[in-house]
Amino acid sequence: MSATSAQAVETLAAPPSLAATFLKAVLTARGRSGEGPLPETVLELSDLAVDRDDLADYQGVCGMPVGDTLPHTYPHVLGFPLQAELMARRGFPLPLAGLVHLENVITVRQRLTADDPLTIAVHAEDLRPHPKGTVVDLVTEAHCDGEPVWHGRSTYLSRGRSTPDAEPGTAAPAMPQGPPASRWRLPGDLGRTYAGVSGDVNPIHLYPLTAKAMGFPRAIAHGMWTYARTMAALGPAADGPSTSHVWFRKPVLLPGSVELVVDRGDDGSRTAGLRSARNPETEHLVLTLEVG
Amino acid sequence: MTTTVRKVAVIGGNRIPFARQGGAYAKASNQDMLTAALEGLIARYGLAGERLGEVAAGAVVKHSRDFNLTRETVLGSSLDHATPACDLQQACGTGLQAAIYIANKVALGQIDVGVAGGVDTSSDAPLVLSERLRKSILAASFAKTPATRAKALAGIRPSDLVPAQPQNSEPRTGLSMGEHMAITAQTWGISREEQDELALASHQNLARAYDEGFFDDLMTGFLGLGKDQNLRPESSIDKLGALKPVFGKGEGATLTAGNSTPLTDGASTVLLGTEEWAAERGLAPQAWFVDGETAAVDYVHGDEGLLMAPAYAVPRLLARNGLTLQDFDYYEIHEAFAATVLSTLKAWEDPDFCRDRLGLDAPLGSIDRSRLNVHGSSLAAGHPFAATGGRIVATLAKTLHAQGPGSRGLVSICAAGGQGVVAILEGA
Repeated sequence: MSATSAQAVETLAAPPSLAATFLKAVLTARGRSGEGPLPETVLELSDLAVDRDDLADYQGVCGMPVGDTLPHTYPHVLGFPLQAELMARRGFPLPLAGLVHLENVITVRQRLTADDPLTIAVHAEDLRPHPKGTVVDLVTEAHCDGEPVWHGRSTYLSRGRSTPDAEPGTAAPAMPQGPPASRWRLPGDLGRTYAGVSGDVNPIHLYPLTAKAMGFPRAIAHGMWTYARTMAALGPAADGPSTSHVWFRKPVLLPGSVELVVDRGDDGSRTAGLRSARNPETEHLVLTLEVG
Repeated sequence: MTTTVRKVAVIGGNRIPFARQGGAYAKASNQDMLTAALEGLIARYGLAGERLGEVAAGAVVKHSRDFNLTRETVLGSSLDHATPACDLQQACGTGLQAAIYIANKVALGQIDVGVAGGVDTSSDAPLVLSERLRKSILAASFAKTPATRAKALAGIRPSDLVPAQPQNSEPRTGLSMGEHMAITAQTWGISREEQDELALASHQNLARAYDEGFFDDLMTGFLGLGKDQNLRPESSIDKLGALKPVFGKGEGATLTAGNSTPLTDGASTVLLGTEEWAAERGLAPQAWFVDGETAAVDYVHGDEGLLMAPAYAVPRLLARNGLTLQDFDYYEIHEAFAATVLSTLKAWEDPDFCRDRLGLDAPLGSIDRSRLNVHGSSLAAGHPFAATGGRIVATLAKTLHAQGPGSRGLVSICAAGGQGVVAILEGA
């Protein structure tokens, strides 16, 4: 979807610093209404050049081969500072700190490389009640030479007043069962490492103490890392035309071990799950991928 | 089982540009580079989802964790994961030996199609623990009691914590390859001027090949690099002549950074198969992989030069195929050093060497130098050890295809350990 006439496109000269944005969001968290309307603003970065060093670091941390093709999830990383900036602004009805990433859908329309200059636009839409509070979609669109090439929809929950009969979100497929395809041992500094390549310095991911301050027993892995690492395990085809849909469940505490389970559908689609290695009933994410 | 030997086609090749050490590929591993070269080949020849007979590749500078480098690369590629793979290593002969291995399997009917390749990094090289530290840690891990473990670890000295320096020398002689080459160059009286002229020709030929678009269907750009990073189209005899010798000593020292190959990073792949396999996919053979030969020399006590084994391999290959050294339209002699090529050519012209060392009645003779390394070679392109064979086979196959059916090319690659791998290709 492109911007409608009611929306005001604001082109930023450079990606906003996430650390400063998070700080601003925390300081202005109080007094947000939790109710619409959503800001009409579309934040945009024009002809963004991919930094190959940053890309190589991201690929290394996410278990992908270092190369020129942009990973399925990478434009999300490029657009995330815009998401944070939009949500940190005063006009945004939900407090950024404490938002829970519930779902994410990404469509890659064509294979992208580090040589492709991307124009990335982010807007918010569909503020709606949820059984556990209020949810909102942040939509990230990437264009290259005027062509839409990549689309992402991130659904965030702001915990609050329950609306029990509200739509709980799209129905996730059943978690794949059976023996693990892989087991990954995630080190205690994974959150800091991923923060270094994504810029997402949310304190819940960094140290046990900063995570405790936010109500978690230990640091938790970035959901977007678990998503990217799972996509890496599913192979390079997802870097071309494809659609993935991830439902995030319980956070991954660091350090920790997780298991990947994969089901292959008759039509070539894949369903992947990430579960705790110690307690396989603890589900971290389930994801579907359709290629082509 | 009855076996007929089948003709083996070189269907095509793909490599990534070669980068200088610490250059464009500083953050790429061997697996990253081999994946990029292989994915380019897959895209070029429509191999995505195909189960190939085998992929054989290797690296000379290799982390111990990369024991299954090629198989891991296949698993990370778009090929059918049921494609088997093996790692193969024969120093700088790795790439060509991998092509011989795949070609032999195709010829014997064991597989219909395969990929040969090679990769090397000088930027992402393994660092090795000092020998004392390694032994102390191993002793501690074998210890049965805390006391013996503590005793083993107590033996570690601060100086042991410094990693061992990466060595680029022959294990048995302690001499670097350049020092070995300097000795051979002096033995054969190879002049500085001859070496610089060969180096200049390599740069000029490679630059012209790029200008003509020769590599357009042989190469996939990688990490922002579209051409070999070492190429110096503006090089000149004066510039090369101004460089100080880096190997050898005193008056007779002639090997410089300009006429020796630099340390580089890169990867290459070659697609080999039967004519039928190619035809079913609408692909045309570029050349036939006719035959290969490997030789080794005893360089350990100075009886022969470290890099002279191809001088022995080629006459054996010629005799087996009923050919003379002059029966070729193109020669690809790997430029480990300019002096390697020149010493080899001089040896083939030398009646004493050919009689005493090769056991021939007459010298092999001279070659038409205008047919040598016509699209540049390692001095200009760089030489990521195991990737050189694939670069040469793909380049020569395309050159012979342009020349026409029946044209003939000779490949000669020297390797550490006193070995040499050579092969004959024929235009298709």
